[in-house]
Amino acid sequence: MTTARKLTEPVMGQVDADGLLLSADPLLMQLHLRCGGAEGGPLAVPELAELCRLSRRLGMNLSRPVQASDDDCRIEMWVETRFTSSEKQQPLSLSIIDWKEYPDDESDKMDPARERDFDRLEGRGAIRTDAALRIIVQQMPGEPAQNADAVGQSLLDIYDVIPPSAHARLLEAVAERQPIRNQRMRAKIGAQRLFILHGYPLIDKLGLFAGYRFTAMPDDPASDPEASEDDIKPVGGKLISDSLFGLQLGPALRQPLGKIIANAETISAKLEGPLRGDYASYAKDIASAGRHLLDLVNDLSDLEAIERPEFTVAGDSIDLVDLAHRAAGLLAVKAADHQIRMELPAEGEKLPASGEFRRSLQILVNLIGNAIRYSPDGSAIKLRVSAEEGFSRISVTDQGDGIAEVDQERIFEKFERLGRSGDGGSGLGLFISRRLARAMGGSLTVDSAAGEGSTFTLSLPTQKKP
Amino acid sequence: MDRTRHVDIIRHASAMADKAAFVADDFARALFPRTDVVFNDRMRSNARQYLRSAIGRVETRICQIATRDLGVTHEKLLSIGEGADGQSFAVLEHSGLLNTVEIVQHLFVKTQQSELAARLLQKISQQDLESTLTRHLDHEDSVVAEAAMGLLVAQSKTTGASGEIAASLADLPPEIVYAFVWPVTAALARLTGFPGQQLQQAAERLLAAHDESSGVARKAERLAQLLDQSGTDQDRVPHPMRDGLTLFVARLARQSGLSTDQIITFTAEPNMARLVVVMRAINIPVQDALSIFAALDGGDHILTAATYGETDRDRSLALVSRWASPNAYQNAERILSSDLLGDQGK
Repeated sequence: MTTARKLTEPVMGQVDADGLLLSADPLLMQLHLRCGGAEGGPLAVPELAELCRLSRRLGMNLSRPVQASDDDCRIEMWVETRFTSSEKQQPLSLSIIDWKEYPDDESDKMDPARERDFDRLEGRGAIRTDAALRIIVQQMPGEPAQNADAVGQSLLDIYDVIPPSAHARLLEAVAERQPIRNQRMRAKIGAQRLFILHGYPLIDKLGLFAGYRFTAMPDDPASDPEASEDDIKPVGGKLISDSLFGLQLGPALRQPLGKIIANAETISAKLEGPLRGDYASYAKDIASAGRHLLDLVNDLSDLEAIERPEFTVAGDSIDLVDLAHRAAGLLAVKAADHQIRMELPAEGEKLPASGEFRRSLQILVNLIGNAIRYSPDGSAIKLRVSAEEGFSRISVTDQGDGIAEVDQERIFEKFERLGRSGDGGSGLGLFISRRLARAMGGSLTVDSAAGEGSTFTLSLPTQKKP
Repeated sequence: MDRTRHVDIIRHASAMADKAAFVADDFARALFPRTDVVFNDRMRSNARQYLRSAIGRVETRICQIATRDLGVTHEKLLSIGEGADGQSFAVLEHSGLLNTVEIVQHLFVKTQQSELAARLLQKISQQDLESTLTRHLDHEDSVVAEAAMGLLVAQSKTTGASGEIAASLADLPPEIVYAFVWPVTAALARLTGFPGQQLQQAAERLLAAHDESSGVARKAERLAQLLDQSGTDQDRVPHPMRDGLTLFVARLARQSGLSTDQIITFTAEPNMARLVVVMRAINIPVQDALSIFAALDGGDHILTAATYGETDRDRSLALVSRWASPNAYQNAERILSSDLLGDQGK
């Protein structure tokens, strides 16, 4: 994918005989600063500076392609140098007539910590191993923190390979650096939980095999608090039957939907080759509709789970500041798409609370996602933490249209959209979030006025209830 | 015996004595070439013709600036500025000043480019070749269309008669203009006895007025870059008969990360082996590769689908990436490598 900046006018700049950037149009100045330059300092874009030096050494006007890059992207330019007068010490004019930005490949790669947060949000565990299958990081579903005991041990010392696939076939796949799919494994110690592992090989920057990254889905119904409800008798008066989404329809729908989204995104990004512009646009619509459906399936699964009277949540010790940073990290790309700035509590701060990590993260992701959806582009979203009377609070404040007082309770009702449609929401997010907050012994409230933005506050008990 | 002739013979004999030490050098180069590239008589003739033409253009322009802009009234400079045959080439020819790697490499590339153009003209008419660029004039991106128009105009200004290899000052790369200007200025000062300062000023003005952006090579490179960036071009695969030679070379260079000079040099090598590797590295489909090879080949060489298909792409990519590294690094690496003497030394 590329970002074109069609230049209606050339980007201009001036460089003196000592290579100092005397003046520059904003685009060039930004690039100069991002490359480590200072205002009035030496031109810091290496290839551009080299072109200026060559032009000055020859005393000639040059016209050449130039590349520059920073942490985010690679830029291709076409640059012309011009001497403005016959004086030898005269400033050299730079005229950039083409400017094309390509996102840096590296920036597409997801930060491993962020990837783990996604896994935890979706109830998956994650294991990272080195090239000899020794565990470097392990975070399994239902466990609040990383398992330090497993680190350094061989994956095969901790887990047994369960048929149909055999031990040897797993090792064969590892030896050939092949992705591993649907590998059933049983933990040798503790509750001997069953997992289904999916893994892909990691290749380092030198092109060498560096280990595997596995995701682990629980395969033993007893270990999954939601799945365990399967054996419990259905409760009447539900939206849909108990087993319909969580255990049957949900997984059955997620897989094909995931494939539709992935393929539509591949097509819209033109990864397989050039495509007519309108077809790429249709594919984008398909991906967007698919994501909406997937969100709806997830929401309905959650709805089904929380409406069971037996629904419980874990009382982990969590840190709301850490949670705020993780949730903001998960939505950073979406916020950047709308030029929305997120103001977060200082990273060094801590605010302990009691609640299930995954569910608390889910609530915050919902609140920040809503804030992004209903805020104007270029605005700011503020996340603040506070503690009061045995409760730890985290608030999300946006600069959107706000919610009239009469609607402030309605928005927490099931399928309530306040007349909005077509924005990707299902009308279940806030309902689920409030139910989850209450299940954790806390609350979710809103403070808003029409036209003045909204503040949603999640309160959780500071300490575990005895 | 005529006294004048007698003096001539004496002078000639003295000159021969001065140069006698280099006879072995020249003969050694002809006997023991260090590359496998064959230089035929036409290439040698073309290179001399081009060099004489380039020196002549620079010389004329300096004299024009000196006499017209700086008001110099020297008779000889006036006559050279008005188109009379220059004499700098004769002075510089044996001075060694033109025998720099930069200049000789440029001569070789221009000569080989001329060879390629002649080969293409055996397969496609001049008219068809010239019309290849017109398909970009309707490009949906106006910047691309303008760049194509710019290249067309630049080409039309510099295209000489069929088979003629003439230098155009506007098309000379700045580094080459610079390399020519100062020796020519010094030669003019010596030939005319005119004080050098004003000639130096004229030379500086020539350099400052040279505009690289108006040259064919840079216009082709910019069009290649824009076409590549636009991603809308139906013919993603460059081809000399669809793009014309200049744009084809620029597109291949752009896609492979090499320079246009390198691409042209590869076509002079036996079996165009390095060109094949470049095509394989950038994944040019087999039928296109065979067709490109046939269009550029000057002998009876044939590239087969099997040979092309069996050329390992990963190794091709690694080689091309190596060739794209800076020349100074490649030279140093070659000097430091143990197989410095190549196959002959083993």
